[in-house]
Amino acid sequence: MVNPLSFFLRPKVTETFEFRDEELEALGAEIRKEIPKIFGHSLAIRELDSGSDNSTEIEISNLGNPHYDVERFGISFVASPRHADVLMVTGAVTLNMAEAVKKTYEAMPHPKYVIAVGDDACDGGIYKGSYAVLGGVDKILPVDVKIPGNPPSPKEILQGIFALVKKASK
Amino acid sequence: MEIKMNEDIKELLLMVTSIAQEKPELLNARENEIYLKFSETGFIEVYPSLAERKFSLIGLFCAESFEKREGFTLFYAFKQEGMAPVLILVRETGKEKMTTSIAEAFPSASWFEREVRDGFGIEFDGAFDTRRLFLHECYPEDFHPLQKAFKNGPIRQAESPRMEYKFRQVKGEGMYQIPVGPVHAGIIEPGHFRFSVIGEPIFSLEIRLFYKHRGIEKLAEGKSPSECVVLAEAVSGDESMANATGFCTAVEQICGINVPERAERLRAIMLELERINSLLGDLGGMAVDVGFALVASPFHVMREEVFRQNEKLTDSRFLRGITVPGGLKKDIPDSALKELPPFLEKFTRDFESAYNRAISSSSLIDRFATTGVIRKELVSPLNLTGPLARASGCPADIRIDRPYGAYKDFAPQNSLRKNGDVLARYEVKADEVRASIALILRLTENLPKGPVFAESAGYAGNNSSGNISGATGYSLALVEAPRGQSLHWVYLKNGLVDRYKVRTASFCNWQAIEHAVLGNIVPDFPLINKSLNLSYAGTDL
Repeated sequence: MVNPLSFFLRPKVTETFEFRDEELEALGAEIRKEIPKIFGHSLAIRELDSGSDNSTEIEISNLGNPHYDVERFGISFVASPRHADVLMVTGAVTLNMAEAVKKTYEAMPHPKYVIAVGDDACDGGIYKGSYAVLGGVDKILPVDVKIPGNPPSPKEILQGIFALVKKASK
Repeated sequence: MEIKMNEDIKELLLMVTSIAQEKPELLNARENEIYLKFSETGFIEVYPSLAERKFSLIGLFCAESFEKREGFTLFYAFKQEGMAPVLILVRETGKEKMTTSIAEAFPSASWFEREVRDGFGIEFDGAFDTRRLFLHECYPEDFHPLQKAFKNGPIRQAESPRMEYKFRQVKGEGMYQIPVGPVHAGIIEPGHFRFSVIGEPIFSLEIRLFYKHRGIEKLAEGKSPSECVVLAEAVSGDESMANATGFCTAVEQICGINVPERAERLRAIMLELERINSLLGDLGGMAVDVGFALVASPFHVMREEVFRQNEKLTDSRFLRGITVPGGLKKDIPDSALKELPPFLEKFTRDFESAYNRAISSSSLIDRFATTGVIRKELVSPLNLTGPLARASGCPADIRIDRPYGAYKDFAPQNSLRKNGDVLARYEVKADEVRASIALILRLTENLPKGPVFAESAGYAGNNSSGNISGATGYSLALVEAPRGQSLHWVYLKNGLVDRYKVRTASFCNWQAIEHAVLGNIVPDFPLINKSLNLSYAGTDL
């Protein structure tokens, strides 16, 4: 028999992590304040990889880990472009992905925004001149904000999201 | 030219010559690699016996105008499990660009041959799959980017894409198809999966990749080795260090550069940090895929902490921009290195607590056990490597079998499971995190002082006596990346890269997924996929 008291006496499964970053908190608070001005209560982002080296995906995923946990700032990553305000594109656009990139963008409801993340997405980066890529994301989509980096850190990506929210509310 | 050979290579040569009626031409040999050329009849006589002797075909690649030869030269790289030497059979196609397929004896050849056909336009007679591989429908017919006649640059795309890519057709009562991708629902890379299912269980799966084909190998042509390192790092972002090391090792072998001991040790420390990061991603991600966020979070926390250590060591969270042919671009600050042992001590405590929480959950075990089994019999024919092979009873690890750099003196603890299911892979990955921690602690102890860059590498300091500038030669390097065996073959001509072939572990390991999912239910697919941790970028190049 399990003693019901043990539920209260055993160690808590929620622990405090010691990594509060004041700079991040301040940035998050700003974003939290700006988002409702134009996007309702939250900003829905659809991530799309058009030919990255996967490091940018890892940094974007890291935004969801407990160190950053950006959902508390009103940012959510959604599964379908139909639910998205923002398309966040990583990687130079490859010929093999170009059509899928266009279709994903077309599937988004208006108004819609595009963020290019990483050097390759910004202007083709090290893939410039390759037969296999069209170049940066702006070759096929209207890009609102570019976040350079190889790859940009989670905080830099968050700053880019903030820049977009500011731009959209103007 | 006199060619020095060690005992292993001599033994291998003896074995190969005993199979064939003719004596092969010995083109080149180096520690752990030997290049032999048979006549066409000799080749056809030899390769089936290699399959019988349990050799795996670990690579098949092509080079044009190799060593002043006309036309195209094919390189078939074979390796026996647990043995260091790589046997490379060299085969020429001549001008007719036609040769025969060996995919019947070596199933891993199928993708390799399709890759060579796309890149160079060589036809493989008798191949059972002749569809294009990395060139999708948007590419025009008769376009072969790796031919020297093609100068890299924008191309005219096919106006009305030729034929639809034909997926395997599976028909029968109650059978239906589920197409998934290339754009998936999460923050992940693109690829297409075509399931044929009966109710919930998967009857057949066919994968189609290469959506991210960026043309890395063509971009490498004509660049200096130091310019090429960024391309090696971009093969697969989370394996930046492993692929940079593989590329640099091949160049160092060609040029006879001895990397200073301190640089070798520091490289190994970083390679193991990269491995830990990759494995933590899996241990957390697999828990996410069974909806168990509580178990996943601590792994994600630890992973971020390792990223931050990486940044302290190299100014790059992905350990980029530090590796160069000849060693390291700069030394690593002692202050950052001193932090590692206490960091890992705390890390170990957190890790064990997180892992125990995961592995003591009956619902997690219920989802993991007996799911996505990869049978041992598939390992050699498909050249499966890395944690997934070690979870299927096959101990292969390049760090142990064919050690490079500091691994010659510092071997990791090997981990082995037999069941080949998701649970076995989970356990192997956890063991490997522990083994990497132990290895880093050994590597940081009594770390030698001294230079981190071989002066002889020359090119960096405008040193005209340096021996990369002007070097001609070729060599193969194997490294154990977090996902398994990664192959790098470099051919330098007058100090510039004429051909860089990279084949990551994922290229071969992807083919395991078509087998692993059979009979499993569709909702277990994401879990199986995560447990195999396959890189799209590293496959698509």
